[in-house]
Amino acid sequence: MGGKAKLGMIQLCGCSGCHISLLDLHDQLHQLLPQVEILFAPIVADMKEIPEGIDVFLVEGGIRNKHEKHLLEEIREKSKVVVAWGTCAAYGGIPGLGNLYPTEELLKEAFSTGTVDNPGEMPEEDIPKLLDRVYPISHFIDVDFVLPGCPPKPEHNLELIGALLEGREPKISKKIVCDQCPRKREGTYPKEFKRTFEGTPDRERCLFEQGYTCVGMATRAGCGAVCPSANVPCRGCYGKTDAVLDQGAAVANAYALTGDAALKLPDKLGLFYRFSMAAGLIPKKIHK
Amino acid sequence: MGKITIEPLSRLEGHGKVTIVVDDSGNPLDVKLHITAIRGFEQFVVGRPAEEVPRIVTRICGICQTPHHLASVKAVDAAWDVEIPEAAKKLRELMLLGNMIHSHALHFYYLAVPDFILGLDADPKVRNVVGLIEKSPEMVKKAIALRKFGQGIVEKVGGRPIHPVTAIPGGIAKTLSEEERDTFLKEIDTMIEYARESVELIKSINESYMDIVKSVGVIDTWYLGIVKEGKHSFYDGVLRFLSPDGSEKVEFSFSEYQDYIGEHNVPHSYVKYPYYKKVGYPEGIYRVGPLAMMNVCDSIPTPLAEEARREFLDMFGSPANQSLAYHHARLIELLAACERTKELLEDDEITSTDVKVDVEPKAGDGVGVVEAPRGVLIHHYQTDDRGIVTKANMIVASTHNVPAMEEALKQAVKEIFKK
Repeated sequence: MGGKAKLGMIQLCGCSGCHISLLDLHDQLHQLLPQVEILFAPIVADMKEIPEGIDVFLVEGGIRNKHEKHLLEEIREKSKVVVAWGTCAAYGGIPGLGNLYPTEELLKEAFSTGTVDNPGEMPEEDIPKLLDRVYPISHFIDVDFVLPGCPPKPEHNLELIGALLEGREPKISKKIVCDQCPRKREGTYPKEFKRTFEGTPDRERCLFEQGYTCVGMATRAGCGAVCPSANVPCRGCYGKTDAVLDQGAAVANAYALTGDAALKLPDKLGLFYRFSMAAGLIPKKIHK
Repeated sequence: MGKITIEPLSRLEGHGKVTIVVDDSGNPLDVKLHITAIRGFEQFVVGRPAEEVPRIVTRICGICQTPHHLASVKAVDAAWDVEIPEAAKKLRELMLLGNMIHSHALHFYYLAVPDFILGLDADPKVRNVVGLIEKSPEMVKKAIALRKFGQGIVEKVGGRPIHPVTAIPGGIAKTLSEEERDTFLKEIDTMIEYARESVELIKSINESYMDIVKSVGVIDTWYLGIVKEGKHSFYDGVLRFLSPDGSEKVEFSFSEYQDYIGEHNVPHSYVKYPYYKKVGYPEGIYRVGPLAMMNVCDSIPTPLAEEARREFLDMFGSPANQSLAYHHARLIELLAACERTKELLEDDEITSTDVKVDVEPKAGDGVGVVEAPRGVLIHHYQTDDRGIVTKANMIVASTHNVPAMEEALKQAVKEIFKK
């Protein structure tokens, strides 16, 4: 790329966690910052217009409203490389759970909660209209690289920017969370599933085999199996692997081997598609 | 007639814009703050098993994910009538404080201070944390150390520094080892010192900017915060309203919040406008967060922060009503959070393994509240007999402040257009 890379960063339908994870490089920021020139990044700087000629644009968050779609298209026009930065941009992330409800109901519920004195009076003045659902950014534009994770770990950000500066593809893991998980597997399937508050999980054995609803077997590695290491099951926040089209279908495939146990699970969609509903082969619930 | 639009609002998390309507001579007629994004968490947590919700609502905010995780799990505990072990309470509080230290350091040093150190008129390209690193590397070094310490605590207690996962109904899924505790203990005095220096720094900044602090964004509102036996508290206690003139205090338990707090839908924003119900809308709008906390509490339970609070009220009056005094108040809370962290780390129970009780899901209704970095955070869920969420209400910290932010902007625009 030569010289300093001209960088843009934005949060669309996300939470800013990807930006904060970049700041979590802490002292290593001193290593990164001299290599880049930040031209647009509303979370940390005041430039109001997206300038032309951006080398790398990191887009955090998916697309929930018309304004976000418009900004995304402007970003694509003005940038050489666009990165789907984090799981929301790549797969819709947690806000994609909103796709289980029609947009009108989602809004109606939000403006009719128990504390509201004028329920159902909807805002619409000078604010962007919602689209029919949450979309991953690749639905609207060509994406050059995907860096999944909710959020991507700080060192992944360093690798991403370093690789793009060197003009090579960033390395991301092609394995699954189980490959990085320290827990022991015996190749068995649970007879029934437990909810996370039931009992105390054995700290050495595979959570799934103990009956806890872990989805590490259908989730891209990279986090270092942080949740199973903290004694709680994986929820799939790094999204699908390259080997499959649909993360939820991959989870369902693994769970189907437990037979009836899987059928009895509450909220299968909310578990299997926790972070990737918006990128599923069927990306929203159809309401008749 | 014309309209000025300021968008995007920057150096903050979230999406907003400000519109100013001006007459033909350029005088401001109206100012509006528009919050331009909504994701619908209150709807899409419905249908989820309640124990999963603390792992979903973290994504409301990537800066203050930890308080969402904790207010949420407290709401589930309350809905299912669970009393968690003391050690689990202490670990959850420690997790909350770790996030508070990170967030307050981020808010002040990474987002706010470039205005004061690089100057209000500095080029936007350098008036940010990158510019600050070049101008004041020593200051940034301390800010990084504070954030690293705070995020480190959340990682060790919550399993991950961003979007923690260990708080579950009945307690917490992870314990803190003695080695981990000792690492933090070794650093905590340095953090207290950095926090104390931060308070000194804002005092010197105040001296240079006092005319602005005491004239721009000065408004009278009610104030809301958490107190425990009248004292400043982050994790637990009761809610307390304080009247604009400081004469009236009203206390109520978390579960009673609906009797005291109302919300009003407005046409121009995706955020609902909260207000103190006994006064009504819009007269009953209020502020939360560090400034409100300085005002509503009788004292801060740790000595250095309490001394700083007294000095603060001497400087700004009681109650302090200046929006720009939030920065000063925030750094006093940073100091309070560091001091309280030391108390918890020195408590033998913090490494206890008795951190989880058995839980039975049931049909219930529960409210969970913590003090988040931006202020009071309320999660409220109803569950069915299988423990699936059937109804949710969330009033997040910045939401409480939105009506007052709009008022402060109106006052600030008037003040600035005068010149």
